[in-house]
Amino acid sequence: MCGCGDRHEPGTPTPYDAGRAELATGRRTLLKAGGGVAFSAAAGLATASGGLAEAAPARRERRRVYVLVVDGCLPEEVTGGQTPHLFELMVTGQRWRRAQSMPIMETIPNHVMMMTGVRPDRSGVPANAIYDRRLRDVRDLDRPSDLRADTIIQRLNRRGLRTGTVLSKEYLYGIFGARATARWEPAPIIPVSGHAPDEFTINAAMQMVEDVDPHLMFVNLGDIDRYGHTDVTGPLGAKVLRRLALLKTDAYVGRFVQMLKDRGTWKDSMVLVLADHSMDWSTPTSVISLAGPLDDDPFLRGKVQIADNGGADLLYWTGATRQREEAVRRMLRIAKAEPGVLSAHDRRTRWLRLGPEAGEVVVFCRAGWRFSDPDPLTSNPIPGNHGHPATRPIPFFVNGGHPRLKHRAASSAVAQTVDVAPTVASFFGVRGRPRGGWDGKARV
Amino acid sequence: MTTTTGATTGVRRRTVLATGSAGAALTTLATTVDATPADAAGAGARFFRHGVASGDPMPDRVVLWTRVTPTAAATPGSGTGPAARVRWEVSTRKDFRRVVRRGQVVTGAHRDHTVKLDVTGLKPATWYYYRFTYRGARSRVGRTRTAPAAKARPTNLRFGVVSCTNWQAGYFAAYRGLAARNDLHAVLHLGDYLYEYAPGEYGYGQSDRDIRRHDPAREMVSLEDHRRRHAQYKTDPDLQALHAKYPWVITWDDHEVTNDQWRGGAENHQAAEGDYLRRRARAHRAYDEWMPVRMDGTARLGDGDRLFRRLTFGRLAEISMLDLRTYRTRQPSGPTAAREINDPAATITGDAQMRWLKQSLSRPAPFWKVIGNPVMISPVTFAQLPSAIVGAVNEVTGLLPADGVPYNVDQWDGYTADRAEVLRHIKDHHVQNALFVTGDIHSGWAAEVPYDAGNYPLGGTGAVEFVCTSVTSNNLKDITGTPAHTTSTAVEQTILANNRHIKYLNFDDHGYSVLDLNAKRAQMDWFVIGDRADRGTSIRWSRSFVTLASTNLVKEAFVPLHRQKPGQS
Repeated sequence: MCGCGDRHEPGTPTPYDAGRAELATGRRTLLKAGGGVAFSAAAGLATASGGLAEAAPARRERRRVYVLVVDGCLPEEVTGGQTPHLFELMVTGQRWRRAQSMPIMETIPNHVMMMTGVRPDRSGVPANAIYDRRLRDVRDLDRPSDLRADTIIQRLNRRGLRTGTVLSKEYLYGIFGARATARWEPAPIIPVSGHAPDEFTINAAMQMVEDVDPHLMFVNLGDIDRYGHTDVTGPLGAKVLRRLALLKTDAYVGRFVQMLKDRGTWKDSMVLVLADHSMDWSTPTSVISLAGPLDDDPFLRGKVQIADNGGADLLYWTGATRQREEAVRRMLRIAKAEPGVLSAHDRRTRWLRLGPEAGEVVVFCRAGWRFSDPDPLTSNPIPGNHGHPATRPIPFFVNGGHPRLKHRAASSAVAQTVDVAPTVASFFGVRGRPRGGWDGKARV
Repeated sequence: MTTTTGATTGVRRRTVLATGSAGAALTTLATTVDATPADAAGAGARFFRHGVASGDPMPDRVVLWTRVTPTAAATPGSGTGPAARVRWEVSTRKDFRRVVRRGQVVTGAHRDHTVKLDVTGLKPATWYYYRFTYRGARSRVGRTRTAPAAKARPTNLRFGVVSCTNWQAGYFAAYRGLAARNDLHAVLHLGDYLYEYAPGEYGYGQSDRDIRRHDPAREMVSLEDHRRRHAQYKTDPDLQALHAKYPWVITWDDHEVTNDQWRGGAENHQAAEGDYLRRRARAHRAYDEWMPVRMDGTARLGDGDRLFRRLTFGRLAEISMLDLRTYRTRQPSGPTAAREINDPAATITGDAQMRWLKQSLSRPAPFWKVIGNPVMISPVTFAQLPSAIVGAVNEVTGLLPADGVPYNVDQWDGYTADRAEVLRHIKDHHVQNALFVTGDIHSGWAAEVPYDAGNYPLGGTGAVEFVCTSVTSNNLKDITGTPAHTTSTAVEQTILANNRHIKYLNFDDHGYSVLDLNAKRAQMDWFVIGDRADRGTSIRWSRSFVTLASTNLVKEAFVPLHRQKPGQS
């Protein structure tokens, strides 16, 4: 299976199961919310009336930041005709037209980079799917404990500010766990995709503004990505489902911004819109499966595990440590020889900055291809994928009424997902940095 | 302060160079001295008849050029004349009260008395004035500008864009138009800076009338021919004015050597003209002497003839100038062309330049990746054109003979494997803001470069291409002999209808373009001139097209750059 769906063995608890257990055991409490939407908070933060206990700094702080992730959106998809609301936000705000997702160009690591401001070698989250050497299985990085770095969410919490997560995808709900002051309990969930449709997500975000009014709210809108993954017209460029999702999600963002203006919040706000990665489409004839070729090598046979992340394969050596270097050489050679492979890298290659969780070798596919490992037919049958360099560019722009923000401005700088946390920190005037500094840069 | 000496010593010749007598250049030069601008009059005008020039600006350096004529006999190509010590000065002030660099060089007949030096130690994004002195007489004052610092983010960059300047076909009014502007940072010349033809062979219109006659009055083949032809072009007052006002970034196309050249020969090279590679070496030698470019990365003469190179303008843009003649395999031709154009062994770039180009496209820092592209990369099919007009279109654009083969095979269309490799690289890495700026085909075009023309627009586009028209070289109306916007309009509409990725096509006008880059968009304005046979002909803005950053889409803009504020979208 590619790294884009949820990956759980039957019988093991999902992140949603874990969330429900937290509520059932009283470790988290449901807040009083309108519109049939469920928000939860840590038990100690909820008041008897179902609201949030408020610290003094929260009362004084009027600034608000809304990070809206239009999951999987390409920068060129933000156009006046297709996404008029996003386009208007972009051209009237400040834009970075050469913005990038970071390796591995997948959902979980890039959302983590947004909130931590550090690269995967420091956060422990390099991809959606990894081979867990302890469990001896490939799994999603969807557990709160998988994320080892401090987040801007927690930094603001410690300053007494309110934070909120409205995350449409199961694994994002899982990895960010209970870090925010208030968390949306997503519903309804589409079973196969494991995400809540944007209509519900945006309603939840608007309701959270009304009920919780977080200083920082982190929203993932998953439809553009989810429709893109399954769009069989993608390889031909028609992208029928995808275009429908873009149209709808754009309208939802328009509603959200209008709500901020109607409430009078806009003048104190910064809305940061970006994607976590973009998307690329392949046909069933453009599939790479490395499991067979690796297994054909007697030295490697049975001693390599593959975590398939759609556009990137992570290869793990499970044999003797003393044989690792030879194994890496062989894996690199075999991977590079496969049609459709763009590049293969020793994971320790400096620019990758992925950390040991990403295994020994990282392999990227060309545009118009995908990985399907270990089974070439069933592991990854979906046409839309990401994780490879072709899916690196993303939209990235800020807007809002706060006087610190520029309008109708553009920068030639290359913004990155890892810039979000330092940007938020800068906007709130949060001093101090993570130990070792930010890997990103403040963009306002 | 630096002192440069011995710049002309230690020259290693690439080949045995033929040198000839002074010959017929004297008359031409006598004429053009009279046309030298007033501020360069007097002794300076006598010694510095070919103006001054600068080029290849970098943040801390720029190439300066002139040619000194120390004695009346030391005419270009003559191979005679004494060694001459020339002083040079660079100042931040036009009155030279603050000279920041100065030095002297010795030139002589072995390098046709040209002076070319790389002045270093300059400040980035700064206007400088420069001049040369010989025996107390000064050249005219030139102005140049260094590139922004490597990490700078300039608000905008603005370039004049020209190509295809045929002396015999008329006057360089386009150069005059650009020289009149004060808003440029540099000038891009995309090739065919000069032409090889003899008088009567390629001139103005259907009859090839010579508005001005080439010197020498023969096709340029020898080193003397090339030197004299370069010298003649350098006497044009509009050319001199534009060289003196801005640094140029230049590449060559085919006519700097001869028509339709490829790595082993050329359409316009016959056995009687000698060994082709020796002829090309002479052309490159003269080019190295006479043009303000770095070859093989230096301003030194004779240390190599690699012209493809990158010039970085802060983080906003990098220009990769291509050489699409020296390394290409022979152009496809004849009825087997369909097979030849898809031949994976055929190359327009050569392997080393292809690797270099892909590196250019992958470099992370530049926002705009501008490719100075001598011939068109956008695919163009001419399949639906009436056979009666194919010949004329062919003559303008350098197409195949009228045999029904619908491809423009002297361009990237003749080398589809190379084009596919470039576009595949762009797609694999999702390279953003690749912008091909092109010359060669004597017509104005704006196009989206599709990954798959057959699946456009659904298949996506990998780049944008803006093509400037010719300064003087014949276009479609000139060849058909029909009034402007009659025959050509029908042809344009047919091509546009059959090539939906092409958004603009003007087969009729001569002129120049102005390209402006900022973090929001790239816009190119096309300016057209009246009659190129009239030195004082009118110049007017014609059309503008824009591509918004990271879209690879082209649309028309209705406000030309000179009516916008810097940074405006």
